[in-house]
Amino acid sequence: MDMIRSFPGMSIMLCLFAGIISSGMKRKAACYLNSALILAVTAMNAAVLYYTVVTKEAFVFVMGKFPAPWGNELRAGMLEAAVAVLFCVIMLLSVWGGRKKLDEEVETGKHNLYYVLLNLLLSSLLALVYTNDLFTAYVFVEINTISACGLIMIRQIGRTLEAAVRYMIMSLLGSGMLLLGICMLYDLTGHLLMSDIHEGVLRAAAVPEYRIPLVVSIALMVIGLSVKSALFPFHAWLPDAYGYSTVSSAAILSSLVSKGYIFLLIKIIYRVIGFEFFCNTHIINVLFIFGIAGIIFGSLSAIKENDIRRMIAFSSVAQIGYIYMGIGLGSELGMAASVFHIFAHALGKALLFISAIGLTDVSGCSRKFIEITGSGYRNKVAGLGFTVGSLSMVGIPIFAGFVSKLMFARAAVGGREKMLATLIALAISTILNSIYFMKTVIRIYTPNPDTPYGSVTIGREKQYAFAIVLFMVLNIFFGMMSQPIVDLIHAGIAVLG
Amino acid sequence: MKETFSIMIPILIPILTGLFLLANPAVKKRSVLLGIVSAGLIVTAMSVFAVILGDGDSFTLFYLTKTLPVYFKIDGIGRLFVTVVTVVWLAAGFFSFVYMKHEENEKRYFGFYLITYGVLIALDFSGNIITFYMFYELMTLLSMPLVLHTRSREAVMAGLKYLFYSFCGAYMVLFGIYFLNRFANTLSFTAGGVLNQELIGGREPFLLFVVFLMILGFGVKAGMFPLHGWLPTAHPVAPAPASAALSGIIVKGGVLGIIRTVFYLFGADFIRDTWVQTLWLSLTLFTVFMGSMLAFREKVLKKRLAYSTVSQVSYILFGLAVLNPAAMEGALLHVIAHAFVKCTLFLCAGAIIFQTGKTRVDELRGVGKQMPILLWCYTIVSLALIGIPPTGGFLSKWYLAAGALDSGIPFFGWFGPVVLLVSALLTAGYLLPITVNGFLPGSDFDYEHLEKREPSMCMILPVLILTVLAVAVGTFPAPVLSFLTDVIGKLV
Amino acid sequence: MGVNLYTNYGEAVAMILFGIGFANLLLQTNLIKKIIGLNIMDSAVYLFLAEKGYVVGRIAPIITDGVQSVERYVNPIPSGLVLTGIVVSVSVSALMLSITIRLYQRYHTLNLDEISLQLKKEGR
Repeated sequence: MDMIRSFPGMSIMLCLFAGIISSGMKRKAACYLNSALILAVTAMNAAVLYYTVVTKEAFVFVMGKFPAPWGNELRAGMLEAAVAVLFCVIMLLSVWGGRKKLDEEVETGKHNLYYVLLNLLLSSLLALVYTNDLFTAYVFVEINTISACGLIMIRQIGRTLEAAVRYMIMSLLGSGMLLLGICMLYDLTGHLLMSDIHEGVLRAAAVPEYRIPLVVSIALMVIGLSVKSALFPFHAWLPDAYGYSTVSSAAILSSLVSKGYIFLLIKIIYRVIGFEFFCNTHIINVLFIFGIAGIIFGSLSAIKENDIRRMIAFSSVAQIGYIYMGIGLGSELGMAASVFHIFAHALGKALLFISAIGLTDVSGCSRKFIEITGSGYRNKVAGLGFTVGSLSMVGIPIFAGFVSKLMFARAAVGGREKMLATLIALAISTILNSIYFMKTVIRIYTPNPDTPYGSVTIGREKQYAFAIVLFMVLNIFFGMMSQPIVDLIHAGIAVLG
Repeated sequence: MKETFSIMIPILIPILTGLFLLANPAVKKRSVLLGIVSAGLIVTAMSVFAVILGDGDSFTLFYLTKTLPVYFKIDGIGRLFVTVVTVVWLAAGFFSFVYMKHEENEKRYFGFYLITYGVLIALDFSGNIITFYMFYELMTLLSMPLVLHTRSREAVMAGLKYLFYSFCGAYMVLFGIYFLNRFANTLSFTAGGVLNQELIGGREPFLLFVVFLMILGFGVKAGMFPLHGWLPTAHPVAPAPASAALSGIIVKGGVLGIIRTVFYLFGADFIRDTWVQTLWLSLTLFTVFMGSMLAFREKVLKKRLAYSTVSQVSYILFGLAVLNPAAMEGALLHVIAHAFVKCTLFLCAGAIIFQTGKTRVDELRGVGKQMPILLWCYTIVSLALIGIPPTGGFLSKWYLAAGALDSGIPFFGWFGPVVLLVSALLTAGYLLPITVNGFLPGSDFDYEHLEKREPSMCMILPVLILTVLAVAVGTFPAPVLSFLTDVIGKLV
Repeated sequence: MGVNLYTNYGEAVAMILFGIGFANLLLQTNLIKKIIGLNIMDSAVYLFLAEKGYVVGRIAPIITDGVQSVERYVNPIPSGLVLTGIVVSVSVSALMLSITIRLYQRYHTLNLDEISLQLKKEGR
């Protein structure tokens, strides 16, 4: 069993090495290596998850020979392991679902580079999830940004290049602030390991004159990470980046990359700052307000959109708003709801992107609503997948989205002053979501007899169909059997703090 | 009370049959399709009766979260509603066999028709509010394809309107559930309410607001003012048998929701003599009057019937809002009577459209000469809806009025019956002209080109059976009444 | 306040530089100027770290004259962090420059707004 303790570190290393090896490989080989790698990493993280659930506590793995407080550490609890497993699964399915499009849209001879980027991205995501060291977190945040930028611009058209530049600029602003925040915190406490900083923070918080620098550094880190995860109003890069990059990239960016930053933020809140102290600052109200603004603005923009991919992208802005709203509620329940929504949204959004591509493919690759009329009949699996994803986003019972909405509402009812605002935001967004998603669902099922486009059968795209079906199953599983997952989240948060 | 799986059988059969139809491309021949559909309908109906004649089993399907099971239970109200659903669904289903002959996408229609049936049964058997909510949403979604059937622009817009009103309503309900979850012992339906007085601790005014919101939310489906706007748009665009099912049954989903909320979750005593009751009474009475007026002014037959639904369902809601046994008995009787009557009316309208293609009221002169049996049925059920003895409508309205007069509620105690009476006159005003013009087209009518156009047996028979039932409820009410008294005894 | 600023003038300068770099990265439309802003911003952070890591009167942590007392040397970690940070910022700058070259080859301008305009005209 002790070997399992080294699995988190090993999986990060494996991904890094696989990335290096892939750069010298042919397309096919790199592709197989990538799938095998993700499967292996999934298995390893599942083992970690099992181990932590059985032992009911988190463990620390020391990287290298230096013990704390100098050395570098990884730390794994239930929540970290669960997030890691989910990230791996979603990445695998997103790549499978977008494989065909990938082969078309990436220049010949550069396919293996895509897998290099994917492996790097996975390693940085895992590192963000597991690391116990703030500076390591910063370095991997940058690696994550660079590989995400590569994923956007691997499809070489003007839009993606521009989107990549805009993405980089926003990300760099965010990571600059994050770095400054980390440095200031280091200056205040003299440590880089999360648990040691936490003790330092507690000591500093007791001294009145340290309070302002402390709050400033926390604010810098929080804002930095929220800029990177496209919280409204820092989302300008998002629609183009998600809307025009190749579909696997869009799915991975929206459901994994931004979630990685949010998860890091949650870790920082619990492990570095301390939940109590964080809740007593005003930062939490700022997050709450921007979260709600994001929900409403994102939904309104999505309604105006005439392009299915960009519509889904704007919906991401709204969904990220949900997550920040949950964090902003400042309660254990709110945080649990946010974590669940990270899962639910990751599953739903990847499904939506993957199935949207199936719909546009049978509509002459046009993404305008007028062209995709009736495409649900031409590609049945994609139509079904899109419907399930939409229903989950709207929050219909038996789908994952409903459970997260229920959890948000429950968290809000438990609190005091933010109750009404949360419930009203939930109400407005439910209605707005249903407007644009159901409008689309009805459109893809409106027959279009004079369509010039042919239909595809499931048999021709087995991998694609498999990915979508598995996404749907996962979504419904999260919607119906939510209790064990919610328990896991609560236990994980308890261990985190 | 024992846990048996048997309760799931009538829910699963139609859903699985429907899914089978939708997913199976091999079913192409019309006879095969109709065979499967009728087998599905009949087997379901039989299993429904087998289940409800048993002694109130329950079944927990799975746990949504630890405290929120998806849970089915058979009780009196459930038995009543499921019987009505089954009768209407069967009648409208067999009617569609002929009606849908010339429509496209028959298979999709019947597939969703069956699935919706299963969902409705599940709705009636739901044992707690979460299960109820779940199937309530599913009912909305799965009845959408029925509204959207023709896929014309008009139908799509109507469908969207239906969807948004429903989602608004459903969210209000969900909002209520959030709070209920905090202040109640359990979310299972329990006669007399589940509120926990200790937890409430002085927050009654707030909870009253919550219960009002839930009533308003379910009121969307029941077409209660102010959120009735979707009903006259959405019902008429569906194929006639589907409108019959929508108007006769789906709106009752909202009624059932309100019954469950008021009598099984909050308890009738909680809202008695509060502003909620007053506001609720005024809304229903306003809806009764307004619906009748709008129906009176409407020229398209199916739309007129839809407005009539708005008005008639609020009769039921009025009876519930009075909160006393007699009025409640009237309300439940009206659930039965209205379901049968409105279904018959829509089927008649459908048969007329099917045979002559005429949709406007003023085109229907002389229609009684062409299809006398149909128009006789129409006339009889119209009388039942107006409330002429010895039909079901008379009995229900009698109890409604008597209950209201007995209730001792100031103002509404006498004002309610007056409005009901006025509305009954309006009902006569908008339904009977068709009979009069149909049978007595006037001396300038062109009798030369008249030909018999009586619809086929398969269409007439469901109409006839429903007509007989609508009358029989009023003529031989004893078994129904004793059953209702039994159910209501525990509630009010 | 003023005294604090004076004694910690290094940090104050670092903060001002950070602000300048941040504003440049955010507000400039010229891509090259943006990248320069990025570098100013990052350098400011390293200046901050270096300034914080140095204690007057101590020397670099290399044992000289056999003195092993901790009091004599500064903490090496901030310098290590600066090095790591420089590596990161170099790679990011390189990536930004390469995208800039791509965009310039395609649109013959370095102005991001103009590029957006041209993209709109392309209409895809």
